[in-house]
Amino acid sequence: MGYVAVKGGTKAIEESIKRLKYERVHKGTAIELHKIEAGMRGLIDQVMSESSLYDQSLSAIAIKQAEGNPEEAVFLLRAYRSTLPRKHVSRIISSENMKVVRRISASFKDVPGGQILGATTDYTHRLLDSELEKESDKSIQDWLRAYQEENRSTEYNQKHMDDLNNLPKVLDYLRSEGLLASCENNDLQPRDVTRKSLEFPSKRSERLQILTRGQTGAVTSLAYAVIRGYGALHPTVGELRVGQLPVYLDHPLDDGQEEDSYYIGDFTATEVEMLIPLTVEKEQGKKEIEFEVGYGMCMGQNETKAIAMGILDNCLERPNNEFPSHNEEFVLYHIDSVESTGFISHLKMPHYVTFQSKLDSIRKSKDQTTEQEVGLHE
Amino acid sequence: MRRKERTEILIQGTADIAKDFAKEIEMRYKVNVIQKPESALVLLKARETAKKSLFYLGELLVTECTVQIQDSIGIGIVKGHREELAHCLAIIDAAYQADLVETRLWSHVLENEKKNIQKNLQELNQSILRTKVNFETMDVQ
Repeated sequence: MGYVAVKGGTKAIEESIKRLKYERVHKGTAIELHKIEAGMRGLIDQVMSESSLYDQSLSAIAIKQAEGNPEEAVFLLRAYRSTLPRKHVSRIISSENMKVVRRISASFKDVPGGQILGATTDYTHRLLDSELEKESDKSIQDWLRAYQEENRSTEYNQKHMDDLNNLPKVLDYLRSEGLLASCENNDLQPRDVTRKSLEFPSKRSERLQILTRGQTGAVTSLAYAVIRGYGALHPTVGELRVGQLPVYLDHPLDDGQEEDSYYIGDFTATEVEMLIPLTVEKEQGKKEIEFEVGYGMCMGQNETKAIAMGILDNCLERPNNEFPSHNEEFVLYHIDSVESTGFISHLKMPHYVTFQSKLDSIRKSKDQTTEQEVGLHE
Repeated sequence: MRRKERTEILIQGTADIAKDFAKEIEMRYKVNVIQKPESALVLLKARETAKKSLFYLGELLVTECTVQIQDSIGIGIVKGHREELAHCLAIIDAAYQADLVETRLWSHVLENEKKNIQKNLQELNQSILRTKVNFETMDVQ
């Protein structure tokens, strides 16, 4: 059977795209972008993190266009990003400079600076709030006024005020106590996976960049598998912090003095340091427990993803072919949203020739079998 | 006042300050726009704390503008879509680069705005610190 090239479907595709718009708008109400920005912080943060592009307004447009579908929104933002010039690289961003809005430790109750819960769903009952059906702009304004009034009535304490912009790090405390090996700054320039294809064995900077832009669900699932036994770690959250990180750029022609840099704004990030106990053999076969650190950081408030990243970071630092979660090729090639959803969804596209070719093979092998059977009977 | 502190105040403070400064310069000097405000990306380089190495966290959308006043070039760059602010920041940067006399009178305005920013930050911190856990030791029978 020969193959015949065909074309067609242009009109059907045009109508399909109209139908897609119809499905988005058919209830006759436009969802305004500022309302997406105001009320969908979690989705916006997830989409920015997976897109690896920080801009709430663009994220809101992508979410609107994608009808709230994160994988499609991420695809749109990644495509948009590729049209923009990248003109600068920031000065080194350090989480020590974070303006903290939330900081907790699951390891140390009396962590220096205290446990600051900030905004979290951790202690909510997860009961569906039917009161939200009646929520209006006015009721929100009233609540905000009352909340601000309540805050103003709090006794002002200058000692506390400095805490949040200069909170001590748990790791620094452990290092100063000699409970964690100290290390010096490593200023080796990172590799950029968006400019150079990944090669194995990968560099640490490549692993962290792929993990931080990984699909939240995929990163979380693989880290969960590690803890369930498909890995060899037993981690605890040493410190989790959420806050605003300032970004500075050097003048393109100056000598790069910090005081002459440009401040361009802050962005929200989540940082997690996972503490992972490890039994090591010392002199004369004596065994001791030491801690290793798994590092997670992502744009926006994405705590589960940052914790999962910290777990996978440590897994990939300790290659072990017994577990797929410790295999960098397995983890790094399968957690990117655009790559994984793009490949899976491409299976919907026409594969007529491929499939017909397989049918031909099956028909030929069936014909040969029938001929052989007839020959046997004769 | 050096550029780091100046841009912190102009971006974190009220946008009217940057507008007023830029207007003052535009009225008295010829401002040549080299690059109109346009979107660009900044690659974010971060230091992780486990091994203290560097990696790229992602990209930040910015608006960037370049202007020239006399022989001095000024750059205005700010997070997000803020064309007017980027334009004003570029003019102010060029004014400082050219050491224009007007810039010497801006210091007290910037110092005052810095105090407002710190006050707002203190209020925010005060609100967040209401969520700080106060552990109480339970009685053991």
